[in-house]
Amino acid sequence: MRKHSMIALGFVLVLSLFLSACSSKTGSGDNASGDEILVGVLLPVTGNNATDGKDMLNAMKMAVEKINSDGGVLKKKIKLEVADDGCDPQMATTAANKLVSKKVVAIVGGYCSGSTLPASGVFHNANIPMIVAAANSSELPKQGYDTLFLINGLVPDQAQSGADYFKDKGAKNIAIIHDNSAYAKDLADFAKKSVEENGGKTIAFEAINPEEKDFGSLMTKLKSLKPDGTYFTGYYAAGGLMLKQFKQKGVSGSFMVGDGSYSPDIIQIAGSEAANDLLVTATPTANFIPGAEEFVNNYKSKYNLSPGPFSALSYNGMNLLVDALKRADSTDQDKLKKALKETKAFEGIGQVIEFSDKNTLNQSNFHVMKVVGGEFTLEK
Amino acid sequence: MKKYKKHSLLLLVIVMFILPLLLDIYWLDVLTLVLFYVVLTQGLNIVVGYTGLLDLGYAAFFAVGAYTTAILMTTFHWSFWLTLPVAALFAAVAGIIVGTPTLRLRSDYLAIVTLGFGEIVRILAINLDITGSSSGIYGIPRPTIGSYVLSSQQDFYYLILIVAIISVLVVYRLGHSRIGRAWVYIREDEDAAEAMGINRIRLKLLSYATGAVIGSLAGSIFAVKMSAIAPLSFSFLQSVMILLAVVLGGLGSIPGVVIGAALVIVLPEVLRGAEDWRYLIFGVALVIMMIFRPQGILPKKYETEDRSDLDEKEETNDKDHSMSV
Amino acid sequence: MDVFLQIFFDGLVMGAFYSLIALGYTMVYGIIKLLNFAHGDFYMLGAFIGYALLSFITGDGGLNAGLLGIGAVFIITMIIVGLAGIGVERIAYRPLLTAPRLSILITAIGVSLSLEYASMIGWGASYKVYPIKLSKNGLEIIGAQISFAQIGLIVLSALLMLGLRLFIEKTIYGKAMRAIALDQSACSLMGINVYRIISLTFFIGAFLAAGAGIMSGVYYGTINFMMGFIIGLKAFTAAVLGGIGNITGAMIGGLVLGLVESYGTYYLGGSWKDVLAFGILILFLVFKPTGILGAKEMERM
Repeated sequence: MRKHSMIALGFVLVLSLFLSACSSKTGSGDNASGDEILVGVLLPVTGNNATDGKDMLNAMKMAVEKINSDGGVLKKKIKLEVADDGCDPQMATTAANKLVSKKVVAIVGGYCSGSTLPASGVFHNANIPMIVAAANSSELPKQGYDTLFLINGLVPDQAQSGADYFKDKGAKNIAIIHDNSAYAKDLADFAKKSVEENGGKTIAFEAINPEEKDFGSLMTKLKSLKPDGTYFTGYYAAGGLMLKQFKQKGVSGSFMVGDGSYSPDIIQIAGSEAANDLLVTATPTANFIPGAEEFVNNYKSKYNLSPGPFSALSYNGMNLLVDALKRADSTDQDKLKKALKETKAFEGIGQVIEFSDKNTLNQSNFHVMKVVGGEFTLEK
Repeated sequence: MKKYKKHSLLLLVIVMFILPLLLDIYWLDVLTLVLFYVVLTQGLNIVVGYTGLLDLGYAAFFAVGAYTTAILMTTFHWSFWLTLPVAALFAAVAGIIVGTPTLRLRSDYLAIVTLGFGEIVRILAINLDITGSSSGIYGIPRPTIGSYVLSSQQDFYYLILIVAIISVLVVYRLGHSRIGRAWVYIREDEDAAEAMGINRIRLKLLSYATGAVIGSLAGSIFAVKMSAIAPLSFSFLQSVMILLAVVLGGLGSIPGVVIGAALVIVLPEVLRGAEDWRYLIFGVALVIMMIFRPQGILPKKYETEDRSDLDEKEETNDKDHSMSV
Repeated sequence: MDVFLQIFFDGLVMGAFYSLIALGYTMVYGIIKLLNFAHGDFYMLGAFIGYALLSFITGDGGLNAGLLGIGAVFIITMIIVGLAGIGVERIAYRPLLTAPRLSILITAIGVSLSLEYASMIGWGASYKVYPIKLSKNGLEIIGAQISFAQIGLIVLSALLMLGLRLFIEKTIYGKAMRAIALDQSACSLMGINVYRIISLTFFIGAFLAAGAGIMSGVYYGTINFMMGFIIGLKAFTAAVLGGIGNITGAMIGGLVLGLVESYGTYYLGGSWKDVLAFGILILFLVFKPTGILGAKEMERM
């Protein structure tokens, strides 16, 4: 009796898998051949990083809406196919395979470097170009994939801009803290290198657990080391709390964060009093870019939110793809890859995109921002 | 009856072999993940199901396999196939290392020691340079058979399918061997087992080591399939999910555990459309499932009427029916 | 500045949180031998309900709510979460009290997922900032600083724990709890309403965890739906370290864990402190398996 039920269950399972597979096949049969071009989006829309992921998705949707209302590209409309990577490598591979199975023409997205790394391999195997809008670990271009295009500034450049700022201000003894995420560790490693090349000294190189809230003993340790500057390379949630406790403990020197913490939330979490004089190494958001008012206003009126730290980059990424599709005059992947590679002085919001031989930006656009009176301002 | 069952099983295996020709790449990937979980749950089934040792850090063995293969292949340029025995050896040693201090402990302490061990392995992977710290190891080469390079989704599906079938057979055979019966005996009554001449310590360690070796095998294949591994894949949540599959399916029951593995992977994927709601639905489903069928979907059939007992008891007058696959 | 003492204070603050949460673990375990994995989520729930109430009375503007208002919010939140604890016990755990132990463990994981993601749907995935801010003022003791907020936090958790001890030692309900921990069936034969006492245990556990949740929200300033997970694991560790099932053990276990992590961060670095914490736990279990204050009897599984 039970054996029968086991066998029956097994078959039902297999059958249901099979059926759902069939239905998904028929559901997405004609992406490029119909009157739509299917573009895959790989972002974390659930989990801890869902906020930034959704900010990026919003900007992409905005770009697509504008493109489609202007008549689309290659006489077709663009349609987005969103897959959630949850910033988890295993989930990202499955999500990437899902996008490949839907026969998307190209991918825009990629927030966490840790999950973008394995996903980029899946797209490389399927020969699908991917424009990475946020993730910028130096491990990504090292893979040497010709399908992978990074439009965010690179980690070494960011580390350099932070180290140079410290040097200009005469800060010699630098404490570096990361949160053990792939990206933050990468930035911290490069920051250490840059600081030491600039003649400074790394007096502490520490890691925290991003889910933690109490950095009391770490701050006590820093205080006893008397740093001239502290650089935290992780994300804003931990960054805000750390900044608050940094000020409470009265640690010496200035506090600087990387672009993972470049969000108004860090000011809110730390409180505007503690956040005063906070330094950020980042690519300036749309708010600081001349000529970007239109983008910011549209975004605000559409979503009732300010654009997130990577919204402008995501908007640029989508537009860059459309530009390349036009130049390739085809959705053929090899032609599209070639067109992306040959991008010449593409004008996005706040950046001009041209690719180096490694498919990374020819020139990064990192600046140091400073919080004054609860607002980010351009410092250098 | 028995014949009919054998035929059905054969049919199932044939269907599994034909499936890749019919599935799209996404469902193939999901199915591949299911098979990974089948291997992992078989390994854990030995420890938790047969021997009754609660293990909350099983992902650590998965990690040992994945990292051993990844390091040997990238840094030392070994062939994939040669890394397998080394990974298995490391995992077995790791299994004995966790097992030894837990021999004297009762189940709840056992749970926390294995949990602690799992976390320590993960933190080591994050902090050590040889494991690539937080970004993990990437660019792991593809395995080759002769001149053929295993690279497509299908190749890995077949590889893990074969391993899954082997592990199911091995665990099934083990379960019906002298060793397997001794494990169950230890689970039911450790003192009585010892009195009957069973070497408790050796068999418990053997259980850990066997479970660890099977877990490491899944890990090794995982490394070459993903071609990039990161500490995030070996978190506490991963251990919990594997345990979940074992308990959902039915402790000690091989077909049950296979179905449990399928459910744990497929359910969240089916619910992918539900976005924010999917883990809530998953959680509620778990609770409902446990309330109405706490013994699992397909429990091992020797269940006694005494439900108040914490563990199931094996009936001994059941030789003919003891084939439960 | 006296670094050693300063780190002691830092550890004490962390330890206070661990202790409060570990108490719930240990009480539930002591009575029905259940590892309530969802316990950390009561802490999260407390933080969120406290957040909602505080936002309501301060009108979302971050105005000062006044000590009386904050006190009222504390009590109301703790009672609401305590009731939620009873609800979870009634719905999810009671039907399974006689089922295999592993099934109830899985149920606990299911409850934990449900609570976390229900909160995410209700309050969103992003970090919420608590509407009240604490002053930074404090004392200096032999060169080490301790803020009034930290003193308040430690005193408040000490009071809660003391209250619990008195409750368990002096009241008839406490007596019933201790009796059930010894022999459940004998208790029901003696006319003790076992189910009611189990409910009460869940109420107290969730009540204390909720208190810790609001304190954490007020003290650290941010909350999010996953906040109960890590601290739940740590508190579980603390409970085992102290000897699971033992109330005083849970308090001591929490403080010891807080101090170990604090000194570990200072001397070994932040990335290794968890290895230290778990390593000590394992060593402890090997050489003294019942924890710091665990019962003498040892039972094999």
